[in-house]
Amino acid sequence: MKCEEFEAIGLDAERDGSLSEVERVSAREHAGTCSRCAALQDSWRAAGIELRAFADETALAQAPARVEMRLRQEFRTRHVTLKGRRAAVVAAWALAAAAVLVGAMGWRNWRNGGQAESASRSNSSASVANGSAKSANAYRETPAQSAAALQPDSADSEILLADSELSDFTLLPGALMADTADAAILRVRLQRGSLSSLGLPVNEERAGEWIQVDLLVGNDGLPQAVRLPQE
Amino acid sequence: MIDASGQNVLSGEMSIAEQERDDVLLRRAAKGDEDAFTLLYRRHQAAMYRFALRMTGNTWAAEEIVQDVFMTLMRDPKKYDATRGALGAFLYGVARNRVMKHLERMPREIALEEKNEDGTGSGIVLQDACTPAVWAEKRERMQQVRAAVMELPVEFREAVVLCELEELSYGEAAQMAGCPIGTIRSRLHRGRALLMAKLEMFRGVPRRASAAR
Repeated sequence: MKCEEFEAIGLDAERDGSLSEVERVSAREHAGTCSRCAALQDSWRAAGIELRAFADETALAQAPARVEMRLRQEFRTRHVTLKGRRAAVVAAWALAAAAVLVGAMGWRNWRNGGQAESASRSNSSASVANGSAKSANAYRETPAQSAAALQPDSADSEILLADSELSDFTLLPGALMADTADAAILRVRLQRGSLSSLGLPVNEERAGEWIQVDLLVGNDGLPQAVRLPQE
Repeated sequence: MIDASGQNVLSGEMSIAEQERDDVLLRRAAKGDEDAFTLLYRRHQAAMYRFALRMTGNTWAAEEIVQDVFMTLMRDPKKYDATRGALGAFLYGVARNRVMKHLERMPREIALEEKNEDGTGSGIVLQDACTPAVWAEKRERMQQVRAAVMELPVEFREAVVLCELEELSYGEAAQMAGCPIGTIRSRLHRGRALLMAKLEMFRGVPRRASAAR
């Protein structure tokens, strides 16, 4: 080993684990034969002792307790804040979900209400249009729209049709509308003057006109009411 | 209370808990377990503080560096990857970065008189009781060694602190400094040469021509 090599790796050959045993032996041999390098090694050992003493002076050095206090305080603050933030996030999500739910339910109700309203409107218009004809038509038109949508208004529709029927006929004087369940409607053509025989007032000037009337004939075969169909 | 390894052990509960691995404690700390964080701090603070103190020679700077290191761990515990090495090595890396930053801006700062927490004057406390003359001589010598170490260029100082003061192996020191073993050996060699020259100069011994090369 040369002096340069010894200075580079031989001074601390005993501690340097990356050196091979051969290099260590070589360093020892060189220090034994070269007085300059031996003196350098002695000087280094003396410096090493002083460094070790310096290291010992600071071996038990520790961060002051206030550092730990500050860190713990910061830790608490940070994690309390984090917990608060998490709670706020959860609350915000819950509120958002509730709002969406309420919105969805409101929309559903509004949609169902709209459908029912349009169904009832169509029923009403159907009954008005067909009221004078046959009440069954109102039901025949919307079998697919079915019970659910139409059910709430079906009773109103029946009443409307019945009113319409009764209001179209004019009771003949002296007749009583007792039971119209088996009554029949007869359409007849007659002279206006014939209405006077049923007890109805007739304009004499137009008594010769031929008109078409519906007669509601009761079980006893006698006319109960009369209706003048719309022209 | 201080145990044999120089670590702070406050209670029996803590000493049992010390058996827990650092990464487990860190996970608990990340979930808000203050005891786990405290345990980690107590386990590693002394080594970080010593390293920072030996590198900066300043107790206030060392205190600030230790605080920064653990604040980093607290803020972002996911920065530590257990598969890449021990937590101690990670903390050393963070401490080293802080030390380097401190040393970079140090020339612009004026060192104030250093005071310990208890109000004593020096960051280094002599342990043994001697006669005043011997005590004064030792103290002066320690100040010389400290001054010699502090005057080393940062890279050489780091190698000397890690290998000579922290007594790490060359391999461990290379890992800490993030460089090959050969670089550590070379820095140590240069650092030693400068250190010996300075110490001999303080002693009044004529400077060895080869030592400062």
